[in-house]
Amino acid sequence: MRKVLITLVMLSLLTTGFLFAGGKTETDANAPTSLVVSSRLWSPAAEQKFLYDEVFPEFEKENNVVVKFEILDDTVLLKRAKLQAETGRVTTDVVIVHNGVMDQWISNNYVEELPVSDWKGRTFSAAFMDSITSGGKTYFAPVGGDVYLLLANKKALKYLPAGVDVQDITWEQYVDWAVAIADGEGEGKTAVTGVPMKSLIYMYGGMFLSYGGEFPVINSPGAIEGWKLLTKLHKAYSPTVMTYDNVTAPMKSGETWLTVAHMARTGEAYRSNPSNYVIAKAPKGPKGIGSIAGVSGFGIPVGAENRDLALKFIEFMTRPDIAVKVARGTGGFLPPIDEAIAVLGDSPVDEVIKKGVMVLQTGVVSGVPGSAYTSWGAVKQVYDDVFAEMIIGTGVFDKALLDAAQAKLEALKK
Amino acid sequence: MNNAIKRQLKRSAKRSSLYIVLAGIAFIIIFPIFFLFSFSFMSDYETYSEWPKPLIPSFKANFMIDKNSEGYHLLIFNKSEDKYMPFGPLVFTNSQEDIDNLRKFIKLQSNSKITSQKIMEYLKIVDSKSRVEFSIKKDLLANYILFFQVVNGAPKAVLNSLMVAGATILISLTIGGMGGYAFARYFFKGKNILKLSVLFVRMFPAVSLAIPMVIILAKMGLYDQPLGLSLVYSVGQISMSIWITASVFMAIPVSLEEAAMIFGTTRAGAFLHVTLPLALPGLAASAMYSFIGSWNEVIAAVVLTQFNPTFPVVVYKALVGSQGQINLITAGSVAQALPAIIFTLIIRKYIIQMWGGVKV
Amino acid sequence: MVPYLLIAPVVIYYSIFWLFPVLNAIIESFRNVDGIWTVSNYIHIFKDPVFYQALSNTAFIVIFSVTIEFILAFGLALLINTKFRGSSMFLFLAMIPMSLPAVAVGAMWSSGLATRGWLNSFLMTFGFIDDASKILFLAGGKMSTMLLIIIIDAWTVIPFVMIILLAGLQGIGEDVREAGAIFGGTKFQILRKITIPMLKPTITTAMILRIISAIQIWLIIVLLYGFNRLPVLLEQVVLNYDQLGAEYFERIGLALSVLVAIIVSAAAVLYLKVSGSFEKEVKQDE
Repeated sequence: MRKVLITLVMLSLLTTGFLFAGGKTETDANAPTSLVVSSRLWSPAAEQKFLYDEVFPEFEKENNVVVKFEILDDTVLLKRAKLQAETGRVTTDVVIVHNGVMDQWISNNYVEELPVSDWKGRTFSAAFMDSITSGGKTYFAPVGGDVYLLLANKKALKYLPAGVDVQDITWEQYVDWAVAIADGEGEGKTAVTGVPMKSLIYMYGGMFLSYGGEFPVINSPGAIEGWKLLTKLHKAYSPTVMTYDNVTAPMKSGETWLTVAHMARTGEAYRSNPSNYVIAKAPKGPKGIGSIAGVSGFGIPVGAENRDLALKFIEFMTRPDIAVKVARGTGGFLPPIDEAIAVLGDSPVDEVIKKGVMVLQTGVVSGVPGSAYTSWGAVKQVYDDVFAEMIIGTGVFDKALLDAAQAKLEALKK
Repeated sequence: MNNAIKRQLKRSAKRSSLYIVLAGIAFIIIFPIFFLFSFSFMSDYETYSEWPKPLIPSFKANFMIDKNSEGYHLLIFNKSEDKYMPFGPLVFTNSQEDIDNLRKFIKLQSNSKITSQKIMEYLKIVDSKSRVEFSIKKDLLANYILFFQVVNGAPKAVLNSLMVAGATILISLTIGGMGGYAFARYFFKGKNILKLSVLFVRMFPAVSLAIPMVIILAKMGLYDQPLGLSLVYSVGQISMSIWITASVFMAIPVSLEEAAMIFGTTRAGAFLHVTLPLALPGLAASAMYSFIGSWNEVIAAVVLTQFNPTFPVVVYKALVGSQGQINLITAGSVAQALPAIIFTLIIRKYIIQMWGGVKV
Repeated sequence: MVPYLLIAPVVIYYSIFWLFPVLNAIIESFRNVDGIWTVSNYIHIFKDPVFYQALSNTAFIVIFSVTIEFILAFGLALLINTKFRGSSMFLFLAMIPMSLPAVAVGAMWSSGLATRGWLNSFLMTFGFIDDASKILFLAGGKMSTMLLIIIIDAWTVIPFVMIILLAGLQGIGEDVREAGAIFGGTKFQILRKITIPMLKPTITTAMILRIISAIQIWLIIVLLYGFNRLPVLLEQVVLNYDQLGAEYFERIGLALSVLVAIIVSAAAVLYLKVSGSFEKEVKQDE
């Protein structure tokens, strides 16, 4: 028995030793010959394929590198940044993160300052400047801007109130339309992202802007106007709206007919069959069209192994002609670069981008003040909870609930 | 005579009721999985634009092109509506650019391949006859093809995953099996407490330990090493292996080992020739859990790997942005599930021993 | 001496890879963002009504799912152990749900239970329902939501429980039960007097492993409903520790983890006590 025992112990020790040794030799074999780009943006499979096929080759040829592009969501990107910073093995060269978390990257010193003034021929759109800079320094180069658009299934058009133009609709008319659809069809057919911590806050926050609200104050006079109107949607939302983490699927399947949502999501549904949908700017309020403008940004992790190449890559990707190409090919995001927008503005190529540019240029637009709060996710939840209780739950406007929610928001402020 | 018939009737009634029950269970198991497979062969249009959705994928798509004063229109046959429905751009011309876009659109949304020339030919027919109907064979594997085009280095990732799973099985079965045997066969001080504390490893939520654990590994130089991952996975698996193997060893009567020893075998020999074969189902079960656990794990792997990702990591990267394309997600899911399913197919032989009891 | 040697590798392994993170987590759960010792993280949890919802929801799900899963898995294991023709293939079939990755399980059920999902499509195609009477699986109240979760979870994990039991049954051997039959025992008597007692260690293992992971159910809930709609314990841990992205909440997540660990161990000890596994072990050994 003892022999077997000793053999087993030896075996397990050997195995462990082998694992460690095996690990070490492989490290050397993996000498970085490639530029690692970890991105939250362009995640749909077709968009990834477009980048591989039509964007990266030009850069790879010019600089004799291989771009290793990988999709990771923001939480994972941050975790990995923490791991790489702590162990000093920074193997990511470029990150693309959302403006909701940029502050965490900057305040933890995970990214370095970018020499934006060296890059000629491009002006980053003013709407996004707050997010990408901190203390007068620019840490991120903006990419993939987004605003909110209206998408309607053509079957919904027969319920459109008389005299209303979808391309120039007010929030009151939108709500009436949604209610008319629900009455006519016997079930709610309007969509928002009801799953918590997604984009509900932007959908509603954008609307409140159009009533003079201030983002993300939940009980401003403008927001109160907005909430009052939204309570009418109590029965107009789809019965399973609370399980939508994305409006694309219900809009594509015809489970819902009407939504105001992120232009990438509405764009995805629209492009799946353009003859089936109408796409328009977001509805307007007394102050015009309100929309939250989101953006992502290229950043370079502190200590990146291929820093110079990474700079070249960002310079390449923010060139107006490339930005336009990427925006068209990945369809659904705006290039946040004025020179690129100028080219796109009057181009009929992409319906979705065109509508987005109109919102951005003519609307009341706010960025995402993620850096002002300890946790932007918790801020989102405040909106999600009010939505669940007041819009879906009771359908009755409740000022006290909004005040309590605002108190929660205040408590989350830094 | 009468009794014999009765008995036979009773037996066949019993057998048919057994098979009815089995069929029912099989249906419950297969029913949802069937749709997972079925969707993975459907086009975007089939999965979203039909209501009720088709239950099995079709092999071809039927189209129609007609024209009015504004230009040409493409329509597709919608089975649930039983008529041609508008498909693609509102209107298109016979310019090269429009035709090219149309070709791409048809491929992307209906998984059907058509050449630009063919479209041109159809447009000529439309010009003379005002409309044309045609059908194109659907590419059943289109979702899988797109999936593997986006997935970077799938073969290498599969290899990494297999290495991780293999090492996890090895570590958890040797270390866990030894522990299990000790708990089953020996009495020693602190046994109950020790056995319970081994279990405590599974009680502390793994999610809040993953990152610190990963940092320890990274500091040991095991960042981005597939085999480093197996060390993380083994933490939970060892504790499970200990409990499973211990319970299996306990169920095997010590008297069998003793009997073998009476006939002149050593204790080790008795263990190898008597206990081990009897314990094989338990060891196999435990190996299977290790395999499935490490094959499907993604939360730690996505942080701990970069150039050497495991297969679930590349699947995650390919699919995380495709919530609006269930056909693509199901294709990726099936691709990831197949190896694990094959592994269970192999290992089931060892879990159910057809030879019954052991002869000493 | 021998048993300690056999267990030594486990102890060494766990002290390297597991003990340090856990101790660290426990320590950090008692400190605040500024590194000051405090119990404020725990107070925050105990003041939060969501915690109590999570606690009761988890308890409900665990009690029902573990009971249902055990009964069905045991039945299935006994059935397969009769070794009828094709039992090996049937075992393979029964094991498939367990081997599916989370992405597959999520895709399968979210596309199935959606209003225009395959389940309604199936019922409609075969004429059980029409468009007006389609079933809103995901729009139910709290009770039906939990039942749905229990059913889906059972579908996925029954094989897990079943295989452990089946592996245990293999060790018992046909001859023991045959002996019981010779002495005139009915099938039920053999099951109750011979099979179950002999299977006791295996049953304990299956139950305890299952209870531990049932208390930690969260992924399928988040896949279908997102965070915070049906709060359960581990989902709250993941939410605070992993999703909210602020150190303040991370520490609350750690404190919650400690509480979850305490709750799970209490449940495990309770089960072992009630089922008599502790005493029996000692008696057997002495």
